[in-house]
Amino acid sequence: MALRDGERGGGEVALKSYLLGVALVIAFNAFLCLYRAVLGPTVQDRLLAVNVVGTKTLIVVVLVTYIFNESYFLDVAMVYALLNMVVTVALSRYLETEGWKGKEAR
Amino acid sequence: MTAREAVAGSFCAVGAVFFILGTVGLLRMPDFYSRLHPSTKCDTLGGCSVLLGMMVHAGWSWDIPRLMVIAALLLLYSATCGHAVGRSAFMRGMPVWKKPGGEREETPQGEAAR
Repeated sequence: MALRDGERGGGEVALKSYLLGVALVIAFNAFLCLYRAVLGPTVQDRLLAVNVVGTKTLIVVVLVTYIFNESYFLDVAMVYALLNMVVTVALSRYLETEGWKGKEAR
Repeated sequence: MTAREAVAGSFCAVGAVFFILGTVGLLRMPDFYSRLHPSTKCDTLGGCSVLLGMMVHAGWSWDIPRLMVIAALLLLYSATCGHAVGRSAFMRGMPVWKKPGGEREETPQGEAAR
């Protein structure tokens, strides 16, 4: 019985380190996406890259919830998703209607 | 390793692979419109896959409704943001990438951008 409990504990730790590895891979991808956010040729490229980085951060937060067993991080992830949506939609609407050189493009 | 951990781990692996594909598409595509395609879709699918894996990992608890809300928000906002950003680029008249020596002569926009 004690042996089985120990085995289950070992599996739990192994799964947690696996989740940590997945989170690290996704965070590395987010850093790669920052290349497009910094050097993107247009404003829309930067906006899209920021959106992608936000999505990856959301998933990393969800993984961190189960790595550290802190259940309240899920609420943080929810708020992060809402914030990401509002920021991207508002900025793209702003780019669509304002910030022009003249009226002809509207 | 129990079966539940195996299923959760495979869902996470699939999600990580889709995230990597989305990053490659975002970095390597030649045009803004073609960059929009892989990054938006791969992020949606990878994120929902990881969230499904976490639902399997969490078991029957109150984490599942919260994860489902996060997945619904992800499905909602990823498509919406992709459409909004692409629409802003189109309305601003961003030129479409053409293959050098390709057969398409002119961009499809022009009248529609005004």
